[in-house]
Amino acid sequence: MSIPADLKYTKEHEWVRLEDDIATLGISDHAQEALGDIVFVELPEIGRRIAPGEAFAVVESVKAVSDVYAPVGGEIIEVNELLESEPEKINTDPYGAGWIARVKTDGSSAELLDEAAYTLFLEE
Amino acid sequence: MLDRIGVDSIRDLFADIPADFHLQPGSLKLPRALHEAGIVRKFTRAAAANRHAGDTRCFLGGGTYHHFVPAVVDYVISRGEFLTAYTPYQPEIAQGTLQALFEFQTMIARLTGMEVANASMYDAATGVAEAALMARRITRRQRVVMAGSVNSRYRDVTRNYLARLDGETVEVPCAKFATDPDAVIAALDGDTACVIIQFPDFHGHVFDVAPLRAACDARGILLVIAFSDAALFGELTPPGELGADIAVGSGQSLGVPMGFGGPHIGLFACRQKFVRQMPGRVCGMTRDRDGKRGFVLTLSTREQHIRREKATSNICSNQGLMCTANATYLSLMGDQGLAAVARRSIAALARLTGHLPAGVEAAAGARAHETVLSFADRETRDRFLAIALQRDIFAGIPLEHFEPDTEPRHLLVSTTEMIEAGDIDDYHAALQEALL
Amino acid sequence: MTDDYSGVSGMQHEEALLFEHAHEAATPISLPGIDAELPDALNGFRRSRQAGIPGLSEPESVRHFVRLSQWNHSIETGFYPLGSCTMKYNPRVNEQLARLPGLAQLHPDQPEESVQGVLELLYELQQWLGEITGLAHVTLTPAAGAHGELAGIMMIRAYHDARGDRRRRTVLVPDSAHGTNPASAALAGMQTIEIKSAANGRIDLDELRSRLNDEVAALMLTNPNTTGMFESDIAEICRLVHEAGGLVYGDGANLNALVGVARPGDMGIDCLHINVHKTFSTPHGGGGPGTGPVAVNDTLAPFLPVPKLVRENNTIRIVHRDERSIGSIFGSIGQTGVLLRATAYIAAFGRDALHRIAEDAVLNANYILARLKDAYHVPFPGLCKHECLLTDEKQERHGVKTLDIAKRLIDLGFHPMTVYFPLIVHGAMLIEPTESESRETIDRFCDAMLEIARQCEAGDTEALHQAPLMPIRRRLDETLAARKPVLVWPED
Repeated sequence: MSIPADLKYTKEHEWVRLEDDIATLGISDHAQEALGDIVFVELPEIGRRIAPGEAFAVVESVKAVSDVYAPVGGEIIEVNELLESEPEKINTDPYGAGWIARVKTDGSSAELLDEAAYTLFLEE
Repeated sequence: MLDRIGVDSIRDLFADIPADFHLQPGSLKLPRALHEAGIVRKFTRAAAANRHAGDTRCFLGGGTYHHFVPAVVDYVISRGEFLTAYTPYQPEIAQGTLQALFEFQTMIARLTGMEVANASMYDAATGVAEAALMARRITRRQRVVMAGSVNSRYRDVTRNYLARLDGETVEVPCAKFATDPDAVIAALDGDTACVIIQFPDFHGHVFDVAPLRAACDARGILLVIAFSDAALFGELTPPGELGADIAVGSGQSLGVPMGFGGPHIGLFACRQKFVRQMPGRVCGMTRDRDGKRGFVLTLSTREQHIRREKATSNICSNQGLMCTANATYLSLMGDQGLAAVARRSIAALARLTGHLPAGVEAAAGARAHETVLSFADRETRDRFLAIALQRDIFAGIPLEHFEPDTEPRHLLVSTTEMIEAGDIDDYHAALQEALL
Repeated sequence: MTDDYSGVSGMQHEEALLFEHAHEAATPISLPGIDAELPDALNGFRRSRQAGIPGLSEPESVRHFVRLSQWNHSIETGFYPLGSCTMKYNPRVNEQLARLPGLAQLHPDQPEESVQGVLELLYELQQWLGEITGLAHVTLTPAAGAHGELAGIMMIRAYHDARGDRRRRTVLVPDSAHGTNPASAALAGMQTIEIKSAANGRIDLDELRSRLNDEVAALMLTNPNTTGMFESDIAEICRLVHEAGGLVYGDGANLNALVGVARPGDMGIDCLHINVHKTFSTPHGGGGPGTGPVAVNDTLAPFLPVPKLVRENNTIRIVHRDERSIGSIFGSIGQTGVLLRATAYIAAFGRDALHRIAEDAVLNANYILARLKDAYHVPFPGLCKHECLLTDEKQERHGVKTLDIAKRLIDLGFHPMTVYFPLIVHGAMLIEPTESESRETIDRFCDAMLEIARQCEAGDTEALHQAPLMPIRRRLDETLAARKPVLVWPED
């Protein structure tokens, strides 16, 4: 189970990488493993404003559907279109090629966990 | 068995049901049990009390048609392996049903000129309602426009399905038993999710759809084309060529008996890009562990057993066996047979309306295999119906059965390849007698 | 050991797709009617090219579909213990009767006086279903169970609205319910709230009490529930919901456990759909057609959908319009052919023997439970009704999951039970034998299940992971199918 130290996590198993006011969002290794083979990702529209905790994308495996909740608030400025043809990137590279969306943040945020806290949360 | 379970009597197995609710065996107000011979007699008598299309001449349509059904169709769907199987949830031991579904979906897509089709809806009316709901999901708009020349039963059900949800449902009145595309276009606006027309329309009218397609394009509206007799597309322009985003209608004509209203089958086809918003089951192609081609139910996350209240539809049981009936029928007909069915159905109506006596008038405009005959008054029409029935002719459906606001002097008349030249001569003769 | 079971073997034919046969029959099928060209007025409305429907000769078509049929498991082939599906034998005489020309060749809009025979049979069924459920007013129209649910919730909503109580837009649904329940409620414009089951798999009365308020329109309830257990608190449950101003909707999927023994209407349920393709033995057809008549009490009777069948003197009439009705939900009066099979089925049992359906179904299920309860984990101990629930908890320790057990059963000649439903237990296996299976068949099935459990204990699990090996196809790649959906065969 991979939990990179440079990312922040939510209790709903999203991750966020913050670089200035740009946040890259995805789902954690734990989440992709729990869902199994991802077959489809419903991406948000560019320009959509999202609030922390709001469901902004949907990830589907063969027999399960999961909403993806926003770790931070802001405006969607980019989505990972590669996932439309290769949703399995979330399984093979959840923190890299499997990113879901980029957000220009407005400073608002859900409760975020660092690596240690997320590891602890998963162990509970 | 009771020993093994550890109880003394079968009734002990029901101890968890409060005693107040236990029925005395034999206390229900039902008839005594019948042996098989008794049931056969009961049903044979009931059947004999009806008059049926098998030994009469049937000019009734309105969404249900008396087409020829080859004996093979009923043989195939009577086979226990198709008839008594459940939904193919264990695909390794349901490849028969699944391949038949895949063939069905392919042929329905081809016949309707659409990219994909699902594995059926209950019937055309509920299918049209589901199409409206799907269009609302895709466009994220709520307003639905229906032409008044769509079968009133499809409209009734659609209006009813939408009535408890937000958004407006608009019906464009129909005049002269025909579709007026300009009137339909005038009802569209930027909040409209979809417009629903029927082609050929409920009264058999065929019309130019192109202006409506253009109007939809201009406003991002989905075009839903309903149909009541899929066999006609063996010859006529199918919904896909007319520019439909969703095509939905009845497959009853494709090898399914009229059966006093069912079981029939709702066909549902759309553009590939919309499949994840489609209602109902779909079968898809895949491979097994050894790399052999096989088929499974797929895209299940749309469905109620996974997505529950957020599912694209609540449908679970569909018309599976009728898919197999349609597939068998289509394989026997082929392109040539289907075109012949369509041409003969249309030719019979042309012959019927080509030589009408004075006092009865057929609706104007191009008609496929269905039209409206208008009489001076109800009395004349009903006299004709009675005379015709004496001659074993079901001559048409009083239009007010579908459209209660219409004057009770019209008759919806339909023909298929089951109508022979002599039947039309007899029809004309009955008309002449009634109009004397 | 395998030789003791009804394993499959022998000739299995591969069969191409219709499109791969790809030859137009030399002579097209001969048709009746008037052979003529399209009238001039329709010349502008021809399809631009042929559809690409392959035409096969009759023998080719028959062989194609007969070969396909042989790749299916069915009730007529063998045991089919799918929980919640009631896969009982479908009497052949019913098929014969539904095909009588005087029933099958009727147009739905013939004059009423020309169809009194069929209307009489349908009206009779309507009355019988009212009597069997204890809910006197019945609509035959809904096309399937889920369609019946929709009609029922529409009626409940109409009832509250008619009393001016328009706030009631919430439907309570237990977490063990069929997925159709919340989906149907949503389609009727209602919000759903999930009720968590108690530790014993039944409705938690405290949880129910805490959810009841003046916005609740109804509780949707399956009884026996989907764990196979009867909700013994049913009278209290109905009383609580009624006291709070709501109504109780019964999902009749499990009516086979009660038919002739007890009546949902007597227990306080206001509205119930009946899956005639389960309880009353109409064939499932590989997914349908089903039919889901709905029975209601006096409270809801005014809101039944149209068309309605009513008796006036000695005539049955079809009433198409009724002001208080929820309106029209289907394009015809119903799936008559399915309904007629149900009429014939009930006629065969009559008042003398109807209760034996439930008795034998419940006996068979409890017998299976008794034989398997030591080898498999039973999440909710006690008597079951017409189906029993096990899990893979004991086998999982050996790396074997419910799916492996299911697939291994296929190699041993049995259709698997329902797997991974209900959702409230992990690795669910829901077994419903129905009343129409002999003790011999049930014993063979139990022997197979016990053998699988022994193999797990012995660590001899390779066959379980590889299964199935016997059918025409092995495990299919559902991920591939869902990622890149191929729903139609491409054109040449």
